[in-house]
Amino acid sequence: MSKLEGFIYSILDKKSKKTLVVSLTIAAFFASLMMFPTMMVLAKMLPGKSANTFSIYVDTPTGSSIEETKQMSSCVIDFLKKEKEILNIELFLGQGIPLDYAGLVKGASMKRTENVSEISVNLTDKHHRDEASFLMVKRLRPLIENACTPKLPGTNIKFIEQPSGPPTLASIVVEVHGENLEKLRTLSTDVAQILSKTEGLVDIDIMADEIFTKYELVPDSEKIARSGLSVKQVNNILYLAFEGMVIAHKNSRNSPDQIDMFLVLDKSSKTLASQEKDALLSKLSSLNLMNMKGMMVPLSEVVKLRKVKSHPMIMHKDLSRMINVIAETEMISQLYPLLDARKVMLEYFSKEYDVEKEAGITTYMFDLHLTDKKTGEKFLLRWDGEMKVSLDTFRDLGGAFISALILIFLLLVIYYKSYAIAGIVLLGSFLSLIGVIVGHWVANWFTTDTFFLTATSLIGFIALIGISSRNSLLLIDFAKSLMEFHGMEKRKAIAVAAATRAKPIALTAVAIILGSALLASDPVFGGLGVALISGTVAAVFVSLFFVPVLMDNSKAMDFDRVHDEEHDSISITK
Amino acid sequence: MTEKKEYQVTDIAGRLAKGFLRNPLTAVLGVFLLIMGYLALNTMPREEDPQIAISGGAIIVAMPGATPKEIENIIVKPLERKLREVRGIEHVYGMAMDNVGIVNVMYYIGENREDSNLKLYDKVMQNMDSMPKGVMQPLIKPFDIDIDIPIITVAFYLKDSKNVDDVKLFETVRKVQQKINAVDAVAKTTLKGSRKAQYNIEVDMGKLSAYHLSLGQIMQAVQSVAVDVPEVKGRTQNNKLIIFGVNNAIESVEDVGSVIVAQYMGSPIYLRDVAVVTSGLDIQNFQTAKIHFKKDANDSTVGEELNQITMTVAKLAGTNAVFVAEDVVEVLKGYEAEFAKEGVGYLITRNYGERANEAVNELMHHLLITIVIIALMLVFALGWRESIIVTFSVPAILAVTLFTAWMTGQTMNRITLFALLLSLGLLVDAAIIVIENIHRHLHSHGVEDKEMGELLIEATDEIGAPTNVATLAIILTMVPMAFVGGMMGSFMKPIPYNVPVALVASLFVAYIFTPYLSLKLLKKPEHKHEHTKGVDDE
Repeated sequence: MSKLEGFIYSILDKKSKKTLVVSLTIAAFFASLMMFPTMMVLAKMLPGKSANTFSIYVDTPTGSSIEETKQMSSCVIDFLKKEKEILNIELFLGQGIPLDYAGLVKGASMKRTENVSEISVNLTDKHHRDEASFLMVKRLRPLIENACTPKLPGTNIKFIEQPSGPPTLASIVVEVHGENLEKLRTLSTDVAQILSKTEGLVDIDIMADEIFTKYELVPDSEKIARSGLSVKQVNNILYLAFEGMVIAHKNSRNSPDQIDMFLVLDKSSKTLASQEKDALLSKLSSLNLMNMKGMMVPLSEVVKLRKVKSHPMIMHKDLSRMINVIAETEMISQLYPLLDARKVMLEYFSKEYDVEKEAGITTYMFDLHLTDKKTGEKFLLRWDGEMKVSLDTFRDLGGAFISALILIFLLLVIYYKSYAIAGIVLLGSFLSLIGVIVGHWVANWFTTDTFFLTATSLIGFIALIGISSRNSLLLIDFAKSLMEFHGMEKRKAIAVAAATRAKPIALTAVAIILGSALLASDPVFGGLGVALISGTVAAVFVSLFFVPVLMDNSKAMDFDRVHDEEHDSISITK
Repeated sequence: MTEKKEYQVTDIAGRLAKGFLRNPLTAVLGVFLLIMGYLALNTMPREEDPQIAISGGAIIVAMPGATPKEIENIIVKPLERKLREVRGIEHVYGMAMDNVGIVNVMYYIGENREDSNLKLYDKVMQNMDSMPKGVMQPLIKPFDIDIDIPIITVAFYLKDSKNVDDVKLFETVRKVQQKINAVDAVAKTTLKGSRKAQYNIEVDMGKLSAYHLSLGQIMQAVQSVAVDVPEVKGRTQNNKLIIFGVNNAIESVEDVGSVIVAQYMGSPIYLRDVAVVTSGLDIQNFQTAKIHFKKDANDSTVGEELNQITMTVAKLAGTNAVFVAEDVVEVLKGYEAEFAKEGVGYLITRNYGERANEAVNELMHHLLITIVIIALMLVFALGWRESIIVTFSVPAILAVTLFTAWMTGQTMNRITLFALLLSLGLLVDAAIIVIENIHRHLHSHGVEDKEMGELLIEATDEIGAPTNVATLAIILTMVPMAFVGGMMGSFMKPIPYNVPVALVASLFVAYIFTPYLSLKLLKKPEHKHEHTKGVDDE
């Protein structure tokens, strides 16, 4: 111990050495901060976690039949079938898989049309599997999408992984707001185009209905009235003929549910020759209605056929019209592709629109305001989804961090009745940030994929502030007592305090490091583990070398000897 | 106690140490804490992810025949405006489609679910008078995560599709569903991909025109015979009741085919003349489900496609997913013989109960390993007696924390356990600091003159003030985290809730049990000085 004591004393004794310690610390601090802009350390809210399951959403274009959807789903399943690690595959046609956390926010429970299906895949246990589920998805995604999507253009195949934290609609969501529906559609197509060209983004989808051709039967009310029919009758017969209807039930003693009687045209009668107008018209002409006089009237006589475009759904968010364009990130943070895509957008849209960036720093700070140069119509491109949640979280955690700093500062001011000492403790604890950042950089070397600085890293950092302030606190308290009760000279007292306190400081640090070692291997809490381990190491060095220098330089640390033998409670190790 | 110049206790630490040092109840308290912790560990509801209070709902308003733009103007927009009046709603999503308008609302995370649902319902009901004409009754569907997210899904399939059909499968599954719903704490069960029995009447249009018939006539003909009427009571002359009723004319699928649709040239036309009548499946239902699975765990790939029915089982809020899942699996096992007879197989495709249990057990395992590692480290750094003392404090602190969490209605999930893992490094600190100081005092000058008990109190009291402040500092860093909003905030809530409790517990345990155990386990070192009084001076 005396060696350490001598070493610290020698630092405190020479001004040049003190300057060296301070400048080294400052250099380390800025060097570690530079790891963000140079992308040596990447930030993400939560990393992916290997799971025993994933799901695939297949969306064929609006207006597709269940048979087409089935065909696309089978194409996907054919690929999955070849995988060794897959235990079972379930296909749910025209509906969502049983609800899970991911489906909750992605609207899986609302699916009930013919153009959707969901596939749920269960894998072998993750402990006995070499390939993490997210790596498997990454490998399969291009294979399946390249092979299956061309079979029915417009089909969207999305791979959904279980979120490791709270679920969001998608990693990247661009909300295109505006009043002009036509323009909204073109804008969202442009946005989707840009996103699909951005590196690192996959599964891009415009959440709007495709427009398809449909036929409108316009009832000729005069003809209907003259032939003794009613419009309601026309509607009913049409529905009955092609969709079918349950017309009666039978209660059964043996069956758990009622048995329905379902009336419909047989397949050969209702199948149309083609999608053309004539085919439909000839079919309608053979469908007869009976009027009140018992005479048969062909349906084609009382209606006119008109070819129209379907009406796509209109989406609102917070009372303004919008279309969502969503994309998933593949193994990378959303921030970097977002910035890339935004840069392209700024350039692309400036041809036709006046583009304005969102003013000020808010969690909507990436938003773009577009004003049409010709018409003056306003549009808004808003970034939402996981990015927004991340920004909100980082903002809140940042706020929590600052409040924690202030609270500790106040606590210390109350305890020591000195701003300077409180400041030293706080500065000392803040510097553990060096360790946190460098720790992530080092951890990145040892992991196969990117090791992100996550929200849990921030939580670890906040906890660290408390831990390292404890180190400095015990040190200052001890040095203070040495000076007050033993009348020790200031430098000597600081050196003795540092040397004596080194053991409990190191012990508690080792306890924290060992305690967090198992945390570091967890995908979600790895950030917290690494932050605690590396931050604690940094905190030990900071409190043993940097804090003594500050203490020595601070006038507030000049304590006079108090002649109070009763309270001489400091016993110095033999 | 021998009367000497007694040490003046200055801090709560010293006071606690003094109060409990020779108290016979201290040991009882220790055992009591451990039992409480053990009880909490075994009975606390376990789940994988913490509960996030997401409230929201959908209002569905149908208006047949309206286009999206009409729906937008007369349903979605006014509804959205009204919903803005409700407090606590974060986002309002409107969807205007052909024939129907849907407005989804999302409340801020953490809003009380019951209140939110009520407010939503209330707001819509208050404005029923301003609903436009021709609109159907609005449906209000609140989201309910506990009820909506199934913890277990089971796929039932036919082992041999030649002998039994999908209808039979459905009947079997329906029977099981009834029994599963009877299991304690099971909430909602649903069937996905089920095919119901149905009589299908498929009309040939060519024959229809040949017989000069319309579809409407066929409908009326069938409806006129398929009626169920209640039985009627008649009375005899001597006032006895005679009960008689009209049977449903349709008993089997053949009866449907024999329905007379019309008379043509004096001879009856039966339904089977113009249509194919079969007893089959609900052909209009396109929501089917299929499954591929490995028949044998050693198979390299999954097998062929089979039709299946998936039963989903959700649990009531605040109940233990592990127990519910076990009970459900138990019920299924009981049916195995019957399934084998009927050629039905089943496969559990999701079991959150098991997953939660695994996740919790794995973390408990990590926790144990960590405690052992720290104990080993302390053996080398301080000695084995000291190590035992610190190691005892860990289960005691964890027990207090778990018990508090249980009492405050929290569940045991990944995040709770991470909070414990995170605090593990911190909570041995107080004990380490106390034991280190005791250790130091025992090896310092003048120890021979002091009585053991007093020395322990003094050592504890001395580091009391800085340790209190330091621990308070760590607690203060955790407190603001409780105010982090949004999904992530709710997700992380167990950390700010449990870490401070663990830290406060660690202080009390360090001040109460560390000196107590030191008195029992540690001895003053035997020194060369002759006037050592020894420890057995009581």
